Amino acid sequence: MFEITNATGGYEKTRIIEDASIKVDKGEVVALLGRNGVGKTTLFKYAMGLIDRENGSVSLGGKELPAATSRRVRAGLGYVPQGRFVFPRLTVSENIAAAAAANRHDRKKAVAQALEDFPLLKPKANTLAGKLSGGQQQVLAMARALATEPEVLLLDEPTEGIQPSIIDDIAGIIKTLNVERGISILVAEQDLEFCRAVAKRAYVMDRGQIVDEVSIEALLENEELVQRLLGV
Amino acid sequence: MDLDYLLVLLLGSVTAAATLLIATVGLAVVYGLMGVVNLAHGEFLMFGAYTTLTVTRMGVPFVLAILVGVIITSLFGAIVEVLLIKPMYGRLLDTMLATWGLSLVLVQAAVLQFGTVTPGVGLPQWSISIGDFEMSTYLLLMVPAAAVIVAAIYLLFTRTSYGVMARASIQDRQMASAVGIETSWINTITFALGAGLAGLAGGLLLPAVPATPDMGLLFVIKAFLIVVSAGPAALSGTAATGGILASTTSVTANIWGSALGDLMFFVATIAILRLFPLGISHKWRIRL
Repeated sequence: MFEITNATGGYEKTRIIEDASIKVDKGEVVALLGRNGVGKTTLFKYAMGLIDRENGSVSLGGKELPAATSRRVRAGLGYVPQGRFVFPRLTVSENIAAAAAANRHDRKKAVAQALEDFPLLKPKANTLAGKLSGGQQQVLAMARALATEPEVLLLDEPTEGIQPSIIDDIAGIIKTLNVERGISILVAEQDLEFCRAVAKRAYVMDRGQIVDEVSIEALLENEELVQRLLGV
Repeated sequence: MDLDYLLVLLLGSVTAAATLLIATVGLAVVYGLMGVVNLAHGEFLMFGAYTTLTVTRMGVPFVLAILVGVIITSLFGAIVEVLLIKPMYGRLLDTMLATWGLSLVLVQAAVLQFGTVTPGVGLPQWSISIGDFEMSTYLLLMVPAAAVIVAAIYLLFTRTSYGVMARASIQDRQMASAVGIETSWINTITFALGAGLAGLAGGLLLPAVPATPDMGLLFVIKAFLIVVSAGPAALSGTAATGGILASTTSVTANIWGSALGDLMFFVATIAILRLFPLGISHKWRIRL
């Protein structure tokens, strides 16, 4: 089980998240919903050890994860950030190889596996990642995170700025990863329909705190709640 | 102009380009790739030259002495990275001031230890004749040496796990750590590599450029301008701009004298930056 407990932290002296707690069971896909600026990305960065921690902890399989980001990744935490952040002057293959090598996996096998899993990337294998479209970069960011062979994948707004046809592909990829590889997934989103396609349970975040835990079906039936919590 | 003179002029240009490239390639790694404005880079070259000289005087063969110089300069670079550079990543001005301070310390330390003038190791007396002209074989050997160094660096950064992780760390340190890369170690190794390359230049060029405390200054200004003009493809861009600028300077110097040659270097740099404000390789699709 992946667990964030009483997460409190932010950037230097500015506290962004406070006492936020989340649990993702093994093999589960859970959504993290909330409007822009409520702290979803900060909570993910907290989980990855990328921001200052005031309080709280992050654990995987009952063991508290080390503070260093790179060691959290090697412990089984995968991360696809909002905005993708692929390495622009590395080729598609090199982006995947870097992640595999860092985690002491065979980089050639990892690249071959990723190109098989994501046929969209195959003709672009030797293209600089910075030259890809937004959708292609999103798929590459997911392939790169998978090359670390994670137990839990944190996906931060994977549909942001992506064309609808690719969004369907991404939903398909998430389901496949979850069902066929047993990877647990926490996905931060504002797109409720996308969440319905991939997850059953969701946490709702507002002003840096987790304010509700709901089933997505129940949330979709309650327009007033959706309006209040997500502003949509 | 006869053909012999033209050939000597051509070989002189290529040799000058190779020499400057050898002196610049370390900076291409440290500044071009890592983005660290190391104003003490020239002093790393001087450090390598003095280390090679000292080891040679102990009776160690010259080639082996160069290797020792590279290793010791790399270790010195690693120490500098850990103590001075690491706390200042992302702080450009602070890094410049700190490395400038380091360069002053190193120059003064060299003056205290070795004095202002030091006997060199002497240029090997092999030469080739081209008509009435003679050219130093050692200087001509700088051409294949530069080619081997550039090719080795290219292969290191594109074909090895370290190289791919290093380039990832340099491009986005936070994201690199978020895929599991130990960026702190990687940066130390990369900076040490850049320092080692400066040490290699100091050693290799020692027979042609005697070790003096201020020898780094001879190269570092031109090296910075070459790397800045190179743009984002740090290595191939540096090879291209280094080749263009050094050969332009050499041809001008051979015909009209060294003062005009140096002037030409700066004029050509301004022209390149005017034509390619983001560097000559800004639109190249090459990785490095």
